[in-house]
Amino acid sequence: MIEVTEVRKQFGAVQALGGVSFTARDGQITALLGPNGAGKTTLLRLLVGLLKRDHGSIAIDGVDPAVNPIAVRANIGFLTDQFGLYDRLSTREYLAYFGELHGMSGKTLSARIDEVSHLLQMDDILERRSKGFSQGQRIKVAMARTLLHRPRHLLLDEPSRGLDVMSTRALRHALAALRAEGCCVIMATHVMQEVSHLCDDVIVIAKGHTVAQGSPTQLCERTGIVNLEDAFVSLVGTDEGMLA
Amino acid sequence: MKVTHKPTYKPRFLVVFLKEFREALRDRRSLGLLLLFTIMYPLMLGYILNQQIKRATRPEREGIAMSVIGADKALTLMALLKQKNVTVTPLPPTSDAQIDVLLRDRKTVAVMRLPDNFTVDYAAMRPAKIELWFDSASDTDARRRDIEEILQAYSANIAGARLLAHGVSPATMAPIKLQRYDTGSNAARSAGLIGSILGFLFFPAVMCCLSSAVDSTAGERERRSMEVLMSQPAHAWELIAGKWLAAGTLSIIGVTVALALAHGILMWLPLEEIGMSWRVTSLDLALVCLVSVPLSLFAAGLQIAIAMNAKSFKEAQSMLSLIMMVPMIPGFAVSMLELKTATWMYLVPMLSNQTLLREIAKGENIAALPFVLTFASSAVAAGIAVAFASWRMKSERYVLAV
Repeated sequence: MIEVTEVRKQFGAVQALGGVSFTARDGQITALLGPNGAGKTTLLRLLVGLLKRDHGSIAIDGVDPAVNPIAVRANIGFLTDQFGLYDRLSTREYLAYFGELHGMSGKTLSARIDEVSHLLQMDDILERRSKGFSQGQRIKVAMARTLLHRPRHLLLDEPSRGLDVMSTRALRHALAALRAEGCCVIMATHVMQEVSHLCDDVIVIAKGHTVAQGSPTQLCERTGIVNLEDAFVSLVGTDEGMLA
Repeated sequence: MKVTHKPTYKPRFLVVFLKEFREALRDRRSLGLLLLFTIMYPLMLGYILNQQIKRATRPEREGIAMSVIGADKALTLMALLKQKNVTVTPLPPTSDAQIDVLLRDRKTVAVMRLPDNFTVDYAAMRPAKIELWFDSASDTDARRRDIEEILQAYSANIAGARLLAHGVSPATMAPIKLQRYDTGSNAARSAGLIGSILGFLFFPAVMCCLSSAVDSTAGERERRSMEVLMSQPAHAWELIAGKWLAAGTLSIIGVTVALALAHGILMWLPLEEIGMSWRVTSLDLALVCLVSVPLSLFAAGLQIAIAMNAKSFKEAQSMLSLIMMVPMIPGFAVSMLELKTATWMYLVPMLSNQTLLREIAKGENIAALPFVLTFASSAVAAGIAVAFASWRMKSERYVLAV
């Protein structure tokens, strides 16, 4: 469970987050919706303890990332907006590297790599070096790295970008399986279809503030608009955000 | 499914180290360059010294072979040449073109020709012409000078005898007498040379870690994998330490190989022939290698601390190429200012290593203190560099720039 209360973060004169509060529950997929520049990346970085907040509180299964970032990160799978592969390592070596950083080793690790590779349908690229991988292959490898250590919490920044239909389906199944296992998933995305199909809860942030939280149906009811995308635009307050 | 936390078997800095080291070893091109750089210098050093030894030991007088046309016209001169160790080969009358061929084929150092009227002119006390043919493009210049000296001595002898016959002292011909004293010994000249050469043997410390230090920091930022790495459950110092040790290890290997190779070559060369000696024992050298380990680690730490601030591989490379030569400056300054070896020199990384090796090579008895200072000065500097880099990585400004 991830609980965020009144979190603010300022960089110099720029207010990146002006008061964000929400709760992301275990066994749910929570969508993080917001126009570009709403503060999503800053929020995710605060959650893994890369940045320190100015105000408010964050608790990830009761642990504050500002106090004990290592413990929090051990329990988080973080898919950033960059994949971060290494050209000179094969996919297996890449996954083993991050597995070992999470304290995994030996047979347990290699069995888990095979498992994740199977789950994401990427056995064909497991022994290849990542030089020349396509966008879809890269994001699969990154996603495998995110899931490898069986984190209780997943922070995913646009996980489905660049994936073809088959891979998107594989990803959805993987996420559904994680939800069934009781994981707490936060997914930043711009794809409304994904939100209405997959997500149990939606957090809308705009200009550094939480604008709304609720299930897709609740958001539509609250705004009185049937279509989720239109409801989102109405909540953000302008349709410029989506174009930016 | 229940999440289980397995105990950490490998320290995380070791995980990072192994990964970075493996990646560095897979970078064939930069590895090849390093190897070339590391072994090329000692080999060059060996080659140059070997050439010097060859030149010094070449028998100087022996084998001056000269062809003479009309040798029977000046038997005294021929006897003198023989006495001065010049082998004279009489030749029948030969044309200019044939002499040319003879010289071009290096069959002879020079060809002397006594013209037909030599005997007549000599008897009439007119300057008797002697032709000396030589090829200035060949490297027999020194031997040609020897021959000319013999001829001049011969000429002066005859002049003296003729003056004496007229009742004039031959001393009139020599108003001054020049005596040359050369105090520069071969040993002194070569020792200076070898001293300045030894300093470069430590250059791989700066060179070999460069590629890995840049690739694992600025390169990782450029590929946008740094944020991912920093989001793992590892402290900043663990990440830095792993990268630092990987880069440092390459430098340690480079310096050790360069020193060992140079040691082997210098032991093998007959340096006594040019009045030098390599008095460094293998134990001495092992000690020098050992106390140079922190130098490599310092170079790696400093380069990481600098390169991590660059946004791209290229930017880091140009930043570092500016400071690459800095460690060599104290060494140059000391040799240019001709400073005497002093204890403070062992406190300056790089200069300390150079001074230590030079003093050992001179055959000085070195106490423990210079070794300890050499080791400690670089070790402390390395610690500071790594601490700075770790602190920098933790800072929010760095996270934002990643």
